[in-house]
Amino acid sequence: MNTDQILKDLQNIVGKEFATNSPEDLYIYSQDPGASLPRPVDFVVMPKTTEEVQNIVKLANEEKIPLVPMGGGMTLSGLVLPVKGGIVVDMKRMNQILEINELSRYALIEAGVSTGQLLAYLNEHHPDLQPAIPDAPPSATIAGNVLIHGSGYLSQKYGDHGAIVNGLEVVLASGEVVKLGSCAVSDYWFARGPIPDLVGLFLSSFGTMGIVTKLSVQIFPKPKFREIVFGLMKDEENIPKLLLEITTKEFIEDVILGKQDKPEWMKGYIFFMVYITGDSQEDIDTKIKILKKTYRKNGARYMKATQKMIDLYIEKPIFASGAADFRKGGGFEYVGANMPLEKIPEAYRRGAEISIKYGIPPTLGSRLIGQTHNIVMFFSYSFNRADPDDMQNARNALEETNHLALELGGIPWKGELGAQKLTLQKMDPNYKKMFFNIRQMLDPNGIMNPGNWSEEEN
Amino acid sequence: MALDDVKHIIHRCFRCGYCKFNHSYSDFNCPSYNKYRFETYSAGGRMWLIFGLINNELQWSDNLANILYACSTCGNCVENCRFVKFNEFWVDIIEAARAEAVKNGFCPEKQKNLLERTTNPEMFNPYAEPNSDNEELKKEYNLLDKAEWVYYIGCTSNYRQKDLRDSTLRFLKKAHIDFTLIDEHCCCSPIIRTGQISPVKDFMNYNVEKIKETGATKVITSCAGCYRTLKNDFEKFGVEYDFKLYHTAELVKQLLDEGKLKFKSNYDKTVTYHDPCHLGRHSGIYEIPREVYKKIPGINFVEMKRNREDAYCCGAGGGVKIGYPDWSVEISKERLEEAKETGATVVSSTCPFCRTNLSDANDKFNMGFEVIDLIEILDQLDIEITAD
Repeated sequence: MNTDQILKDLQNIVGKEFATNSPEDLYIYSQDPGASLPRPVDFVVMPKTTEEVQNIVKLANEEKIPLVPMGGGMTLSGLVLPVKGGIVVDMKRMNQILEINELSRYALIEAGVSTGQLLAYLNEHHPDLQPAIPDAPPSATIAGNVLIHGSGYLSQKYGDHGAIVNGLEVVLASGEVVKLGSCAVSDYWFARGPIPDLVGLFLSSFGTMGIVTKLSVQIFPKPKFREIVFGLMKDEENIPKLLLEITTKEFIEDVILGKQDKPEWMKGYIFFMVYITGDSQEDIDTKIKILKKTYRKNGARYMKATQKMIDLYIEKPIFASGAADFRKGGGFEYVGANMPLEKIPEAYRRGAEISIKYGIPPTLGSRLIGQTHNIVMFFSYSFNRADPDDMQNARNALEETNHLALELGGIPWKGELGAQKLTLQKMDPNYKKMFFNIRQMLDPNGIMNPGNWSEEEN
Repeated sequence: MALDDVKHIIHRCFRCGYCKFNHSYSDFNCPSYNKYRFETYSAGGRMWLIFGLINNELQWSDNLANILYACSTCGNCVENCRFVKFNEFWVDIIEAARAEAVKNGFCPEKQKNLLERTTNPEMFNPYAEPNSDNEELKKEYNLLDKAEWVYYIGCTSNYRQKDLRDSTLRFLKKAHIDFTLIDEHCCCSPIIRTGQISPVKDFMNYNVEKIKETGATKVITSCAGCYRTLKNDFEKFGVEYDFKLYHTAELVKQLLDEGKLKFKSNYDKTVTYHDPCHLGRHSGIYEIPREVYKKIPGINFVEMKRNREDAYCCGAGGGVKIGYPDWSVEISKERLEEAKETGATVVSSTCPFCRTNLSDANDKFNMGFEVIDLIEILDQLDIEITAD
């Protein structure tokens, strides 16, 4: 690789100041906040337009250099750390909100728009609308979130965040630009079909199919009133029946549950946070009463929360990153397994056992996705970034948890390389074959984030 | 503060990126991230680089020094970082890392000038001006050697923003304040911010000694940078003093509250206030100047979108103006564009350094504002201040 020439070529594409291979920049982009070991990067480039992305892809194809698209870099599982070196394409300069369609309720945005940016924009200009955003910090991008089948706010009501994608503009490995969804036929980016749905190829494929440059996501009406109703449960066996009962109510926007030893009042309990919506305070008060009764009937009890606590969680996004300081060490990573409801009690039990085995205070949580059709289960492990042994300990816990998730019928979500390999091992061979064939067809030179969704040893 | 003192905190940065934003997430509020856009130039990126240095995973280089110095130390990261147990240290860590850069011979050339000039016995200021012992001013304003108050002018006001200085002097006289001046040396803000800390303690002790000689129990300054340094940094460098410190805005507010200051004329202009980082985020003073502006008859006081804790830096601080003069003024230009949205014709602040940079942008880009300090507005008005 002629490093100097490639840097020059990249700088010619995006401008001198937005392509780099300085040791300092490469150092930062070779690591993410999760537990993955650093992986070397050769260049970082920040395009501003789809055309620039096309030119970067063409260059990479000519030079056979891997490309790794990056949004906020907040997956924690190393998905934007190159496995085989190459160019990290940091998309954050592509940050235009192109259209808010209030009637068809979608946002057409560039791939670098952050969740915080869209949230603030809607709050200011379209206060009756809200985006579906993850629990991640506001620097996470909308594209990054939906393209990993993200979940978070509004997941219980509207499904996982992959489901809110109406359409994509993608630069393929060939350099061609393809439009997917209704925008392939219409001027409106209002729906995914009704045409053969190829959007799914680009979800959870971690940049191995192409680089998304533009996307339309559904946005949703904002309720007039919202409240959180907290609950506590002693015996996790009661989780499924409580969740089934809760989700018969039409006013449930989100459901989060969890189990952790800190703070002290949480120890020994599964705690519930049920977000309810209503048209008036009176309406909310009635619904709180209904939920209290639902808790009582299903082995749980209502917990009166302080206003401070309610305020902390009701504003979006909540501060999920707080787990990074549980061990005063600036790091945490979790296995986020999508799971069937019936296995959730066992997941809590055995997840806690793994935490204890590795000497990490249990921090387990879950979110409902689309009523009880799917639950994302978080097995979270904090670590001290300054202690390599502690980081290795977290990696070991993560690996054991990936095995557990798959054993219980779940699927690791946005999994790191190890989780991807385990998932491939369990995958229907013909699904896998079809996936690899499509990828080979789209990317014959294997430049799109190679090493991900791969059976090769790295 | 040495890097060793904060070593246990640096790796606790998760690089979650809250530090880049304002409170509502509507804007990137970190000037250097806004410009460079690589993660490297966010506060989190810098923390990880410093951690890399400590671990010997990175070596000092001009580029690394440039990344650390391209930070205006505005404190937006401190304000927006959600890790409340240790977020107060981010700017201190940047300054401590710069001190390491200096030790290792990587202080950029332009910033080195600040130290050379400040320690030059002919100057004692970062502007390369002959030191003013302020004796002429004392004569002009009929100031004695001993007084209850010292007006600590600060280098920017004394050598670059003399209108601001003179407005302050006239205000203090009108307010019947018993004050004097000292043969002041630089407060050291520029050299502290750029990590050139070797002479700082001596300078601080000198200034405290000079103030003591006057018998003053109160010190007032019209400079947000001097105020922040006297208020926060003296203690960090182990220099104690027993005088009470005021920013001019605080004195004006006090006189208004006591009913001693009466306005006899109007200021019929639309004014927006730019919060200086050193007075706002660094010292927690947001409302006092606003309360003063709002009491001025005739004024139409309007807020910029980003104000108080969310205010966007003018781009002058942290050695950025001397190190990156063109970019520094572009940051001020962005601030003035925000001011334009308010309909204001006057951009006012309470810091001579902000005034300088905003004025430079105003002139360079023909923005058409009047850029003026609060104390200069008061100087233009007919006011009456009664004595005790």
